Amino acid sequence: MNMMNILIGENISAEVLDGFATGSVAVQSITLVAIVIGAIFVNNVVLSQFLGICPFLGVSSKVETSLGMGMAVTFVMALSSVVTWCLQTYVLNPFGIGYMQTIAFILVIAALVQMVEIVLKKVSPALYQALGIFLPLITTNCAVLGVAIITIQKDFDLLTGVVYSVATALGFALALVLFAGIRERLEVEDVPQAMRGVPIALITAGLLAMAFMGFANVVPLP
Amino acid sequence: MSKLQIITKGIIKENPTFSLVLGMCPTIGVTSSAINGMGMGVATMVVLIMSNMVISMIKNVVPDKVRIPAFIVVIASFVTIIEMLMQAYVPALYASLGVFIPLIVVNCIILGRAEAFASKNGVWDSALDGMGIGLGFTLSLTVIGAVREALGSGAIFGYTFADGVMPLLFILAPGGFLVLGYLMVMFNKIAKR
Amino acid sequence: MKSSLKNMVLVLLLISTITAFLVALVNDLTKDAIAESNTKAKNMAKYAVLGTNDTEATILRDTTCTIGDFAITVSTVVRNDDQTVIGYAVEAPSITKSGYADRITLMVGFKEEGEGAVINAVEVLSQKETPGLGANMTKAGNSLERSIVAKNPAELTFAVTKEGGSFDALTGSTISSRAYANAVETAYAGYLWATGRLNTEAQAESMTGSTIQSDSNLM
Repeated sequence: MNMMNILIGENISAEVLDGFATGSVAVQSITLVAIVIGAIFVNNVVLSQFLGICPFLGVSSKVETSLGMGMAVTFVMALSSVVTWCLQTYVLNPFGIGYMQTIAFILVIAALVQMVEIVLKKVSPALYQALGIFLPLITTNCAVLGVAIITIQKDFDLLTGVVYSVATALGFALALVLFAGIRERLEVEDVPQAMRGVPIALITAGLLAMAFMGFANVVPLP
Repeated sequence: MSKLQIITKGIIKENPTFSLVLGMCPTIGVTSSAINGMGMGVATMVVLIMSNMVISMIKNVVPDKVRIPAFIVVIASFVTIIEMLMQAYVPALYASLGVFIPLIVVNCIILGRAEAFASKNGVWDSALDGMGIGLGFTLSLTVIGAVREALGSGAIFGYTFADGVMPLLFILAPGGFLVLGYLMVMFNKIAKR
Repeated sequence: MKSSLKNMVLVLLLISTITAFLVALVNDLTKDAIAESNTKAKNMAKYAVLGTNDTEATILRDTTCTIGDFAITVSTVVRNDDQTVIGYAVEAPSITKSGYADRITLMVGFKEEGEGAVINAVEVLSQKETPGLGANMTKAGNSLERSIVAKNPAELTFAVTKEGGSFDALTGSTISSRAYANAVETAYAGYLWATGRLNTEAQAESMTGSTIQSDSNLM
């Protein structure tokens, strides 16, 4: 054959060759804007990553309560991502106890939620009135732990991590509020007996997830 | 309640997926094929039996207000220990179930049963409850996985029966919600009569 | 049990200490066994991608190249009876493209035939792609593996077919497939590098500051 005509290694891209020549590769840099759009629309935490579905189905029957829950989750996620990032960088990594990650993070989140509850009650009773009942529910919201772990896995720095967490939480809030709006309308519709409640909610969520698939490939994924 | 009833109630009457609506995240996340659903179900059952037993042992020394954090820490460390043991001594099993294990920590079924059953009952009843709910969970996940796999990739348990272009949607996120929704409708129609 | 601040703090502290102690203990007990089973699995993959096993072949040497945080290891596998080289098993991550969830790591087997090389087989060492979609790359005879096995890597284009490449993407998983192609590309570059044939002259000026290290000089 004409194998001799092919120069060895000619088909290897410049980036990879450069890696072997210099011993380092340029990591694809993704702008903060792309991260925000990606986390809210493309990779929506509920509709494409399957995290936080329980509160999504449980709380979202009224637009008002959904907004409250969304705000509470945003607050806790932003705070917990800062604390867990510091915990991982300054405690778990230096001491080589990365295997304690899940336990440490979940404990931090549970403690944080309790603390936020106590502080809010003292400092701003009005805000506590608005968010109070949602706070205990957040401990069991798997999206909070999920996002804390993803932030570490993706090697984000602190700023990027916080931006990513807040954007993810906003995506959660968006899905929740949209979904609540649809469910308020469903209340007055004549839904077949066997479909009432959770089944029709799931089917609605499926259609909503399909709509969100339209955002795929809008921005490069982090 | 008899011992047998504790086990069998998890399959239909208190089916964790279709009746209690617990653990939705892993249910939709991993059921893109029947074998994945079954793997997740079995891994969850093992953790559930053990965590139920531990929780019912410590239930009397934990103050009410810190119940949830305390239980969560117990469950998380438990899952980590099981993961390490499996990885070390049964690597073949870990290779097939390993990916599901960290997901179990955030499965609200575990915490749900700790709250609803294990914190009120004895050690052995709690173990049986874990087994029953675990069986129900495994069954439902396998069924959902089988339906999604059959519709989305024309196969069941990896055995292809239909070739050509299949509606991939059923393996993607929306398909998870839709299949679960319609199966729940069928469950309501049949089982709740 | 009634809650007071004292017993709440005490019980939580106690439970955390006990569980942390238990986890640390189990970690200590299983650390070596896990490392050992990982090495064993990796070695098995090295033989498997060259169509042989540990009774008829041995690993002559491992040559490792470090690029940033990534390591590419090229293992030279020889036949036990006459010490002839069967081929090279290369462990390589996708260095410039990530998968959907994380980078993926492959073991690629290269055999030399005449003037060129052929890809003998590929095994996925680690991936966190979506089950039922990108994770299908671990299945035997998947479209990605089929499209490159028994081909000369010098004739491949390291991209998916719809982007003009040689890799038949997995259905619905373009991102995972791109990462797979990138890992095969890295492995091929590693193989050429370890056998002294990688053409990096274009980057000759930037060679200073290189962190490439090799425990043996081949050819």
